[in-house]
Amino acid sequence: MNILVFTKRVPAAQEEELKITGDGKDVDLTKIPFKINDWDAYAVEEAVRIVEKSEGAVTSIAIGDKESDEVLRRAVAMGAKDGFLVEMEQVVQDPFERARIAHTFIQKESIPFDMIFTGVQSEDDQFGAVGAILAALLKVPFASMVIAIDEIEKGHIMVRRELEGGLQERVKLTLPCVLGIQSGINEPRYVSIMGIRKASKIERKFFSGANYTDGSAHMIEVNRWLYPAQKEGAAMLEGDVGQACSKLLAILKEKGVRQ
Amino acid sequence: MLNTRVMTCIQCGKCTGSCPESGKTPFNIRTLVRKRQFDGAIADGLPWYCTSCGTCTLRCPRDVKPSEMIIEIRSAFVENGDIPTTIQKALENTFVQRNPWGRSRNRRAEWVDKLDFEIPHVGDTTAKRLLFTCCIHAYDPRCIVVPVGIARVLKAAGVEFGILGEEEACCGNEIRRIGESGLFEELRDENKGSFEEYGVKEIIALSPHCMNALKNEYEQTGIKVVHYTEAIHDLVKDGSLVPAKPYEKRIIYHDPCFLGKQNKIFDSPREILRSIQGVTLLEFSRNRENSLCCEGGGGRMFFDVDTVYQRNSEVRVLEAIEMEADMIVTTCPFCLMNLEDPANEKGMVVKELSEILMEVLET
Repeated sequence: MNILVFTKRVPAAQEEELKITGDGKDVDLTKIPFKINDWDAYAVEEAVRIVEKSEGAVTSIAIGDKESDEVLRRAVAMGAKDGFLVEMEQVVQDPFERARIAHTFIQKESIPFDMIFTGVQSEDDQFGAVGAILAALLKVPFASMVIAIDEIEKGHIMVRRELEGGLQERVKLTLPCVLGIQSGINEPRYVSIMGIRKASKIERKFFSGANYTDGSAHMIEVNRWLYPAQKEGAAMLEGDVGQACSKLLAILKEKGVRQ
Repeated sequence: MLNTRVMTCIQCGKCTGSCPESGKTPFNIRTLVRKRQFDGAIADGLPWYCTSCGTCTLRCPRDVKPSEMIIEIRSAFVENGDIPTTIQKALENTFVQRNPWGRSRNRRAEWVDKLDFEIPHVGDTTAKRLLFTCCIHAYDPRCIVVPVGIARVLKAAGVEFGILGEEEACCGNEIRRIGESGLFEELRDENKGSFEEYGVKEIIALSPHCMNALKNEYEQTGIKVVHYTEAIHDLVKDGSLVPAKPYEKRIIYHDPCFLGKQNKIFDSPREILRSIQGVTLLEFSRNRENSLCCEGGGGRMFFDVDTVYQRNSEVRVLEAIEMEADMIVTTCPFCLMNLEDPANEKGMVVKELSEILMEVLET
């Protein structure tokens, strides 16, 4: 079972108050640390667990700048056999273009696969679309929100998809296929710094992204970045903890929450 | 490979007799040393009970270092990626944001907003004296009063100092004890690089854990490292700081393991308290070298064990109540957080020494 996993390097932005710059054209990421996209870590872990139990290999692929090599090192430290970097000179946000690059890369380089994993979405752009478009381009089946892989047989797999309302849906897909892996499918293993250092000694392969794009215009372009409109209704309670608590109790009483 | 000297162990059991976890949890340090001698298998959960208080190593008559052996055992689990989820999260957070809580590194110096004066970057000072905040001091709403208070006290005493702000990284004391030596080395090298770049000559560490790492585990920096209580004690001694207001309280002092038994700083905090008029200083039955660990070290701030047992912090609080203390005072953020839980429940007050200084000094 050969599994390709697309891994993306993203800014760790949850704790940040990001600043829009350049009159809405850019976001200042200069002081923001980067990391592997959370969903992709689950995808790598799932792929590695599968090949650990059977034969085959995991290949981690990143489409991005040079720095994206760091997520490949992490994936190799987790158990991927190879790391391929498709190096882009510019950020590719359009999910169709990302999928097209991925598709052309796989075809041109004749990379064999039985399954392709992506994370359900990436933390930065959150389109959640690359896996589905890639599957369409490859003309293979696709399932998203995959929370469990129950059976892997010759020619097909059974997976469970996470739905709303506490339901899961079991679906059968013929192989090869593309899966969007949901977080929570496993607990990604810890990768130590020593492990990453050792992985760094395994050679990753670099490819020039220009070879896999025909230069046609992107179908989606970012027009501008905006802050959400500020809503009203929030009140900051001033004073020390005691005073703030007294005010809070008075409000709760006034609103009828506390008698 | 650490030199833990396990083969010289004679199984006298002094380590287990000294251990703050033995008897009430499944953790038995003597047994683990024995297993280590014979390469025996060690159950996954066991090494994580150790609080890194260091008592076993300090008391061993054969100079075995069981607390270092625990780090070695944990390292093997870390390298296999087989560690408790919350510990894993703390390590991953430290890797990305340089603090175990995963708070934004860009906000590490936001505590200075609570001051009505500016603290220069250490590189812009003449003395090159660095105030090193702990991650928990920089971000935790309960602990943030400590750097704010100490900065005020130092300023009032006319001490010139600076900070590294968002360039400061976690000291790595707990990271090393969790067994992530690679990450510890990264943090150490990053901080040492900053010290060198800005010509730091002296460090005043706010947490005993940071002080321990910076002083004993950063390898020959040539920088003088002190805990803030030592710096303040000097200021009290030479008359630069005079606690002006009386403080009529019965105070019982809790020795943090990394300040007291591991670095032998017992007197500075006590002397500061004694210099305050009206303070009656009480002692726990287990004090100084025999102080009972709060159970916050060695990664235990990020991991709760399965076993249900009476926590040492509760033992401390109950003794403080029995001694009719008005409050427990300590000088470590981990001790503060751990003691405060049962103290709140039982109606006891816990303060960090700097909080009292803020009340008695006219700053």
